Amino acid sequence: MQIVIVGGGEIGLGLSRTLAPRHDVVVVDHAAAIADRFAALDVQVLIGNGTNPDILQQAGVATCDFLIAATGMDEVNVLAALIARRLGSPKTICLTSRDDLLQPFGGRDLLREHVGVDRVVWPEGELAENIGRIVAVPGALDAETFVQGRVALLEYRLGAGSRLLTAPLSSLNLPRGVLIGAMRRHDRVLIPDGATRFEAGDKVFVVGLASAVAEVRSLFHHGQAPDRQRVTIVGGGNVGLLLAQQLEANAHVDVCVIERDSARAEVIAARLRRALILNGDGTDVDLLQAEDVGRSDVVVSVVDCDERNLLTSLLARQLGARRIIARVTRPANLRLFERMGIDVALSARGAAVAAIAHHVEGGPWSLLAVLEDGQAQVIEVPVPDGFPPAPLRTIGGLRGAIVGAVQRGGAVVVPAGDEVIRGGDRLLVVTGPDAEALRRLFSPSAAS
Amino acid sequence: MVLARVAYLIGVILRWFGAALLVPAAVAAFDANRTEVIAFVVSAAASTGVGVLFRQIGEAPADLRRPDALAVVAFTYVAIALAGALPFLLVGLSFMDALFESMSGLTTTGGTVLTDFARYGRGVHFWRALSHWLGGIGVITLFVAVLPKLAIGGRELFFAEASGPTDEALTPQIRKTAAALWRVYTALTAAAVVALLIAGMPLYDAIVHAFATVAAGGFSPDPQSVMGYHRPAVEWTLTVFMFLAGANFALHYRAILAPSTRIFRDEELVAYIAIVGLASATITGLLVTKGGHGVAEALRLATFQVVSVITSTGFASADFALWDDRSRLLLLALMFMGGCAGSAAGGLKVVRVLLISRYALNELRRTLHPRAVMPVKLSGRVVPEPVMRSVLVFFLFYLLAFVVCAAIVTAAEGDIAIGVTGAIASLANAGPGFGPIGPMGSYAGLTDVSKGVLILAMWLGRLELMTALVFLGPRIWYDVRWRSA
Repeated sequence: MQIVIVGGGEIGLGLSRTLAPRHDVVVVDHAAAIADRFAALDVQVLIGNGTNPDILQQAGVATCDFLIAATGMDEVNVLAALIARRLGSPKTICLTSRDDLLQPFGGRDLLREHVGVDRVVWPEGELAENIGRIVAVPGALDAETFVQGRVALLEYRLGAGSRLLTAPLSSLNLPRGVLIGAMRRHDRVLIPDGATRFEAGDKVFVVGLASAVAEVRSLFHHGQAPDRQRVTIVGGGNVGLLLAQQLEANAHVDVCVIERDSARAEVIAARLRRALILNGDGTDVDLLQAEDVGRSDVVVSVVDCDERNLLTSLLARQLGARRIIARVTRPANLRLFERMGIDVALSARGAAVAAIAHHVEGGPWSLLAVLEDGQAQVIEVPVPDGFPPAPLRTIGGLRGAIVGAVQRGGAVVVPAGDEVIRGGDRLLVVTGPDAEALRRLFSPSAAS
Repeated sequence: MVLARVAYLIGVILRWFGAALLVPAAVAAFDANRTEVIAFVVSAAASTGVGVLFRQIGEAPADLRRPDALAVVAFTYVAIALAGALPFLLVGLSFMDALFESMSGLTTTGGTVLTDFARYGRGVHFWRALSHWLGGIGVITLFVAVLPKLAIGGRELFFAEASGPTDEALTPQIRKTAAALWRVYTALTAAAVVALLIAGMPLYDAIVHAFATVAAGGFSPDPQSVMGYHRPAVEWTLTVFMFLAGANFALHYRAILAPSTRIFRDEELVAYIAIVGLASATITGLLVTKGGHGVAEALRLATFQVVSVITSTGFASADFALWDDRSRLLLLALMFMGGCAGSAAGGLKVVRVLLISRYALNELRRTLHPRAVMPVKLSGRVVPEPVMRSVLVFFLFYLLAFVVCAAIVTAAEGDIAIGVTGAIASLANAGPGFGPIGPMGSYAGLTDVSKGVLILAMWLGRLELMTALVFLGPRIWYDVRWRSA
């Protein structure tokens, strides 16, 4: 596909990295200096104003499939999308930094229906939604759901006492309807096979029916799951507020938000119903101790500053918080955060890139989720009609990938090795970053 | 404060108030009751005359500053109470009794000094009801709605008289808001008349009761109040209309304009309904178990009395002064609280009770979390700190006014039941208390000192204290001039 990205900032760069291997990407930015950052990628960089029709024309907007407006300015993004719609008929994706552009206007969606943007992505909103999903599953480091919530993918870290360390994967008795789709050891993501032996500290991705996955928790998470979850959110910005709103809708979650600015604290207090709002600094140990933040089930630090998030997270860990989720602004710090013992580090940029990639690569091959910063992915693969039926374990092209679920008609099955795959099935596959082999295997021409 | 301006505006109102006095004159003329016709015509002439005089010597205000607006509202009630007392004086009441009856009518209190109701004709009883009706949603509101002269400073005047803690207008122009409220009020009155006719009341009685009901007043032409009619249908009809009169008229307006269940998002309304429901159920239970009533009868009596008392109407379909002490205590508490803000009801108001309890609960939570940010919210919106403060201060003054009134009346009468219940009933503009001043009794036997204090309490209660209390302090009098220049 041809994709034009307006704006070569962090999100433009992240998108290029994700999309360039499979698509023709043109990046438009007015600052010449950004060209260096894209030098390592196979993309064309055009210097010029992204709202100038000539420049857009030159970038190939008239014939491209997608225009992604990803500058830091909402107005520029909307204008670029508007012009692109006039020059050609690309699908347009707009980034926004404010939620008011997402609010309905005159009963209709402002950008989608009045301006004609196909998808509006609000990075902070995506981030809040991701964090909310993770918080909702006790003990999980990451959580995604597919097929209208019937299939779940959860990431856990293996503790030293876990039963999974006792034997190779093939002789572990996993609950029915559950698979281990991928694992991460140190910084490498692997797709496990029957001979894989897990080690303490590994992170594993569990795929399975949502109903069965709940039982898996006991393999990783010791002790009874608490009836009530206590969640402390440090930072009452957009992400903190959205997350708090999302969480307090669940009656079993007690939310506490710590916000430094007293005026902002008043604002969020007005918008939240049940949550306790504290006016104070998340790096203030006395406050954290006085409010017993250490007894929280989850501490989420979403201040707009990496240093403060790191400090807050480390303090929370010292005080005994069970699970810590931190927001990272600079992508380079992601790894560092996880090495420092923070359970989950996420960035708004990463969330936005994943959401856009998901949207762009939709269609028959949909990219459902990007794991571990692009080192693994979950894709939905349709099996072409002429595909010769074969048991899963005999399909050689599936090496290095795990079929997590098979949708057949209205049913969803978590397959064992002898499950017969037929034309018309839709497979949910966990695989590495390169899915070319899969693509060839299931392309309609290969089937005939 | 510029007295000439205050005098001018009060003059404008008095002139028209004189016209209102001609209505009972017409009723009396219909009955060919000469004494009363003369009394009302003379009173009307006096009121209009003084009004014209005030307008002549006064100064038409180019603008209206806050002290002037407060003075207009506060002293309008004094002026019309005096004008309205004139006919009572002329038909034979003493000055104190006449003023008490008039103030009780205009502030929609409904406590009476009459003992022998049959001595007075239909003109007098009509005037008692009409005075309720004029005062129900506010005399000033009426005049702001109909008199272009009051357009200047109308906003200040309107909010100085309006009940409840918030400055909420239905339309940007205050005249239109006032007019809208009066339309709702008039429509409700008309509906009440029709409903009472259907329930079997004669026309005159229906009109008089509709006035007293929709205004949350409580005067009845029958010495036994509504009990004298012995008609369950009438009692239920009155219950419904009293209940409506005790709810916010702005909500009625919205509900009529665009009927939807959204009005139930108003937390004050929900609390009001819940309180009425709970109190009625409790008293029904007490009446059945302790009073030996049947369930249907107990429910009717309990609901009627609960609604009558919480809306500060003061009608009685049973002599609740004779009930079990538990029921009486509950009724007294409801009287103290009153109905919704922006209604015809008096008292502390449900919304203030809600806000104060939320504020208190927040403070309780704050002892655990000293750094917590906890704004008080109402119907999902944050109540600004200044409003919250004025609510708390109002509560304190309300308590203070109650204690002082109760103390003086108790001392003057030597009867704590009269002192305490009379003070609440007057301050909340409810009407009857317990004991000799109960729903079947009268305030006639009280000393002039008590009557004076209670007249003051009614005035304070109707003006929601602050508008009136400033005139009891010295500061506003520092800068009194006759003319502005």
